[in-house]
Amino acid sequence: MSTDRTPKYRQEIQQMMFVSGETAEPSVDTTTLIEEIVRQQVVEILARSTALATRRGVRSISTDDLIFLIRHDKAKVSRLKTFLSWKDVRKNVKDSDDKGGADAADFAAADDPLAGGVVAGPQDVASKPKNKRARVGLVWDVNSFYSVQVPEREDEEDEEEEEQNYATLQRLAAADERTKNMTKEEYVFWSECRQASFTYRKSKRFREWAGFGIVTESKPNDDIVDILGFLTFEIVQTLTEEALKVKEREDREKNRRGGSENGSGENTKKRKRETGLFDPPEEGRTPVEPRHIREAYRKLQATPNKNIAMLLHNGRVPARMPLRLI
Amino acid sequence: MSLGHHHAWLPPGHLRPPDDPHDSRSINGYSKSFSGPRTPQMRASVDADGSHAGNLISEADLTAEEDPRIAIFRDLYRRSEAKINTLFAGQKNVEDLVGAAVADADEPDIKNECADQPAPPPAPAKKPARKLDDDDYDDYDDEDDGDAASPPKPKPLTPSQEFSTTPLLSRYTSGTTSAGGDAPKETKKESLEDIRKKLEEDKKATEEAAKRSFHTIFYTLENDRDAMLDQQRLEESERQVEAEMSSQANAGNNATSTSNGYGSLSNANLGASSLTLKNLIARIDMKRTMVQASDAELRSLMSEVRKNRSKWASEDKIGQEELYEAAEKVLSELKAMTEHSTAFLTRVNKRDAPDYYTIIKHPMDLGTMTKKLKALQFKSKQEFVDDLNLIWSNCLKYNTNPDHFLRKHALYMKKETEKLVPLIPEIVIRDRAEVEAEERRLQLADLDGAEESDDEPIMSSRGRKAPGKSSKKGAAPARNTPSGSEPPAGSSSQPAAPARADSDVPTDGIPNGFATPPPGTQTPSDPAGAAAGVSGIHGDSMDIDGLTPSINALSALSAAGVEAEDPEYKVWKQVTKKDRALIAAERHRLFKGDKLNSDEPALLRTKAGMRRWVRNQRQINAEGDKSNEPSTQAMEPGPAGETLAEGIEVDEDKVIPDYYDVMSGVPDLPGQLLWREDSDGNIVDASEEFLRILSKGSFTQPDSKLSQKMDANMRQMQETRKICSKIGIVKQMQLQSQMYQNQFQKYQPEPFLEQDVPPHVMNDEGPVVSPWACKAALQRSVAKIFYHTGFEEYQPSALDAVTDIASDFFQKIGETFKSYIEAPKVPTADSTELASSNSQWKKAYTEPEIVLHTLNSVGIGVEDIESYIKDDVERLGTKLATVHDRLRSLLSELLRPALADGGEDGSNAFADGSEQFVGGDFAEDIDEDFFGFKELGLDKEFGLATLSVPLHLLQNRMYNAAQAQNTSAIQTVTLFPPPPSYPRLTSETLPSQIGLVRGFFGAKLQASNNEGLVEDLELPPKQRPMAAKPRLPASGKIPPPSAPAGPTASPQKRPLPPTAPGQQPNAIKLGAAEPSKKKVKKNSGVAMEVPVSIADGDEATATLDGTKTSDDPALTNLNSKDGSEVLGAPITEPSHVKNGLDSSAISDVAAAGDGDSNADLNKSNDNTAPLTNGTAGDAS
Repeated sequence: MSTDRTPKYRQEIQQMMFVSGETAEPSVDTTTLIEEIVRQQVVEILARSTALATRRGVRSISTDDLIFLIRHDKAKVSRLKTFLSWKDVRKNVKDSDDKGGADAADFAAADDPLAGGVVAGPQDVASKPKNKRARVGLVWDVNSFYSVQVPEREDEEDEEEEEQNYATLQRLAAADERTKNMTKEEYVFWSECRQASFTYRKSKRFREWAGFGIVTESKPNDDIVDILGFLTFEIVQTLTEEALKVKEREDREKNRRGGSENGSGENTKKRKRETGLFDPPEEGRTPVEPRHIREAYRKLQATPNKNIAMLLHNGRVPARMPLRLI
Repeated sequence: MSLGHHHAWLPPGHLRPPDDPHDSRSINGYSKSFSGPRTPQMRASVDADGSHAGNLISEADLTAEEDPRIAIFRDLYRRSEAKINTLFAGQKNVEDLVGAAVADADEPDIKNECADQPAPPPAPAKKPARKLDDDDYDDYDDEDDGDAASPPKPKPLTPSQEFSTTPLLSRYTSGTTSAGGDAPKETKKESLEDIRKKLEEDKKATEEAAKRSFHTIFYTLENDRDAMLDQQRLEESERQVEAEMSSQANAGNNATSTSNGYGSLSNANLGASSLTLKNLIARIDMKRTMVQASDAELRSLMSEVRKNRSKWASEDKIGQEELYEAAEKVLSELKAMTEHSTAFLTRVNKRDAPDYYTIIKHPMDLGTMTKKLKALQFKSKQEFVDDLNLIWSNCLKYNTNPDHFLRKHALYMKKETEKLVPLIPEIVIRDRAEVEAEERRLQLADLDGAEESDDEPIMSSRGRKAPGKSSKKGAAPARNTPSGSEPPAGSSSQPAAPARADSDVPTDGIPNGFATPPPGTQTPSDPAGAAAGVSGIHGDSMDIDGLTPSINALSALSAAGVEAEDPEYKVWKQVTKKDRALIAAERHRLFKGDKLNSDEPALLRTKAGMRRWVRNQRQINAEGDKSNEPSTQAMEPGPAGETLAEGIEVDEDKVIPDYYDVMSGVPDLPGQLLWREDSDGNIVDASEEFLRILSKGSFTQPDSKLSQKMDANMRQMQETRKICSKIGIVKQMQLQSQMYQNQFQKYQPEPFLEQDVPPHVMNDEGPVVSPWACKAALQRSVAKIFYHTGFEEYQPSALDAVTDIASDFFQKIGETFKSYIEAPKVPTADSTELASSNSQWKKAYTEPEIVLHTLNSVGIGVEDIESYIKDDVERLGTKLATVHDRLRSLLSELLRPALADGGEDGSNAFADGSEQFVGGDFAEDIDEDFFGFKELGLDKEFGLATLSVPLHLLQNRMYNAAQAQNTSAIQTVTLFPPPPSYPRLTSETLPSQIGLVRGFFGAKLQASNNEGLVEDLELPPKQRPMAAKPRLPASGKIPPPSAPAGPTASPQKRPLPPTAPGQQPNAIKLGAAEPSKKKVKKNSGVAMEVPVSIADGDEATATLDGTKTSDDPALTNLNSKDGSEVLGAPITEPSHVKNGLDSSAISDVAAAGDGDSNADLNKSNDNTAPLTNGTAGDAS
């Protein structure tokens, strides 16, 4: 399936990888591999959420179906919720203001709530009466226990929201760590990279790429596409981070072994890089290779003990485990 | 035969043996297992305990009689052996002891015998009465002989009779022999008997040895299959023979029965084999109506026939029965040696050995022999033996190779044959007619003889005959002795009776023949009585036990010669083969291929098996503790055998260890179930001590912090749901115009309470194993978790599914726990140096480790549990609380939107758009206060932000609903009795009305034909001439700008009579108690009524009544003041004063009944409005 396709998202993936910490230039193979993995995941997500929707007796996928799929990853859910609420805000602002010029900035704000939330905080407060952040409720939340819709109250920021913020802040802290030493130009580049998306303004391309017409009904709404865009970014990021870890371990192993076996020049160079007081970190750094991605993918696919413990029938693991969503 | 004839006249009670058939020992040492099946099974006969004992005593006595010195030697040997045995703590310890104890008693007996021998005792005197009877019969028989010969024996013999006769006969025999003193004959007989005895002993010894080894060696089941297959082959061949024979046999039997010429039922039964019996039964069934006998009678007849007549018995052939019984037994014995006999069971197949029939001209096999036997083709023992030997010689002849395995088998079989052949009596079958003719001839010749001389030959002939026939080897000499010719003179009179007596010998294995000939056998046991008999038995069995090892060794050695195998094991295999095969076959029957066959009937345990098991168990126990008194031990097996002996089942004995026959095992009874009796014979009911009441809470959730939290959460949810339902009702009311009485179900959830099981009494330790109760409890827990997760109700199937999953999960947890707990112990690390001396062991896992391991292996971590409690229980609790708060506020908002707008204290009412309040002119602007709220100071009182009618007042339906649902509220309202209803307005009561309305009412009455006017309130609610109900939008506010000023400001569609707004609350308030005549006065009531409904209704009503009824202005004033006081209770002092000032005006208004004064009032109130508002706010 990967061979007959030309990669369509090379640049986006590269950018995403860069945002996720991969500073070197990854090869085409790598990005293609990642793209295939992402595509597989997207297809799986679509298929499963379609099944869920069918089970509910609805033909089209709703956001709840998508979120339900990732419900166990609380941090991701809360990030997604943040994303959705900000998206809502943006839409409202757009509707009321009718000015499309600030789109990019808004999107950045939405995608990066730290920048959005902190930087744009004052101005948001001003416009709050009108465009207050809608809280994204989930079907399985407490609110849905009751027949009556529970009224919102702005004054209480419940624990969940705090947690949501915490998860977001964690991520942002990591991003902050990465950008700490950047020059202004680098930061501009970095922030441009952050806007990379599989879906944003490439809705048609995404639809074709993910096989919307085949996997599910052909017209998922914008929310779905946006969530998928968000999720694809998350996938790439997770994959890249994991692959980097793999690579780092591999390098360390190589160093150790190389050091003990033959102290060759290459080895010393590597060691120097590791101690690298004066070396710029990027220099001499090799990009993540497909094998790292594969290993990362394998690791991410490994089924935790918990999920199969209940399935152990007479000590046997079921032959085939479903694809795990990253 | 004459005997049989006689016994036919016995009362029916005699048909049954007088002794308990299951009593293992009788006085004479005869086993009573004669009631066993007549199928000739040597094994069954030999190893039954009782018969065993019987055998032993007889043999012992025999040997004793043989040579006293040998007996003494044997005795000595036995004693020493007993000592050795006690040293080795063998099985027979107890009996050894007993034997030793009895040994002394035994010796005198022997001496007694010796003493008896020269002078035979006066036998009849020593006999019990029963035997005397028999004696008489015998005499009778003897007299009868002549004519008794001709009628056939219509009745079979009962065992007891047989047994009682045989001793008698033998006694006579002994008497005669001793009298005659023909020693050589005796010795000859002895030698023959010796052979037989030796064989029997041999066999018994091997079995005994095998039995002994049951307790010392554990035998595995691996050979069972072979044994079973062998047995099957054997049976198969037998079946074949049977099938081939059946047709012939049928014909033959029919022929015999017809040739007998006996038409009656009982005659047809004679000599019938089981097969012919079948036919007979069929026949009887066919002509049931013609048979003059009840079913029970017939059945008893059949059983008699079957029990006592061998299938070989024939009226026409003398000696056939004995010969064939023995021959069949030998044959089956040989066939049963399946180790070796398999090859000889069937004819040699030509395919297997093409040249066989060229070499072997006279083929023979055991199957063919069986066939021949069944076809009654053997005429004498010699023919039979020849055929047998032919088989072996054929084999040896054909398989010339000395190493051939078949030769080994053949040789073995040959040896066995040689051992067994002496068991067959030397009989040549002769025709009855021939014999009888001879007899008659002899009798005629003897006719003129003297009485004594006549008696003597008969006696002697009997004597000669009896040993001859009762003991198979003895037959020949006995026969030979009287006269060289075959038919003994005296025996002609009773050829069948001894024959029948003999027929018991092989089948039941009771060697009457051995026991009877020597006179000594009876003498010791008879006078000694039962106790001595028992002890004697023990002593004798001891004797044999002492001997067995050597014999055992012998037989084992001989077996070892054939095959190099563990001799003991070999013996085991041989002895138990058949039983093992049977058991294995039974087991095998249950399987179809490799799977259990569910259609197969279950294996049932038999009473006999259990009895045997219990007996063996007791024996072992008795052997186990030697401290017991020998006597008690000796006595114990007796009652033990009886406990289960109630069933009439046959006591088939098997030579097989207990563990082999799993089916017969009887579990140990727990202490509380034992049947215990106290000294008076009352049953001690021990059950009370073991009962316990199941402690409470076994089936409820234990009280823990977590469960408390969960319960609290669920309670919270219920409360919130209650609020939700209220909100739903309110919303519904706002949308719906018409309400029905039961439209809204009150949602009043009960807090969950876990029911425990009712008090339950158990009689043992451990948990309650009651799957349904446990499942129900688990289901409840699952349901609880469901509810806690937010499901309000659930389908039973869903609940079931999750319960099953949960139980599966918990089962896995339990299994894992178990495996960790049961992990082998490991030596403690710190005691390594001490390990040699005293090894310290500890459990492989500590308890926390076990728990953690288990949790890990089922896929749960402590973190998971913790996060569940934190997130899904605790945080859920806080979330639920928040939601609850919000919903409650939502409800209160819905109910009192005005209040909500004004904030908690009304201060927010000024927040925006409050210029009117400041200016005080908003009333004119919007004309909102058409209810006169301000006028009455209600706005101040309740802090109304707007002057719209509060929702909770307008929504009278809701109030109605609340009233209907809340009966207690009604009761508080009717604190005072309602005023009596006004009399109905008819033409009679019309004059009592005031003149003003008289004309109006008169016209009304005219219109209704002087029927009497119907009050509005008496009409059903829907027919009342009421104005359309005021409708409020959902907001609860009356939209001010759209509505035109004035009383029509309410959003109703058509013009409203001025009384309308007030009427509604009024109608509700006063209900049926308020007559419609007051309609006229209601204008004044308007202002009053509304607040009245808010405040205390009854007092207000009273005020109202006072207002309208009294003519005294002062009183009115007072009253109205009271009313205002009541109304204004929460109002601050200044306003109260003002009200008091205005009260005269109000009373004026009331008296005049003029609605116009409303405006004045309004005005007067308007001035105070801002002030009062403010103060009201401050005050509250």
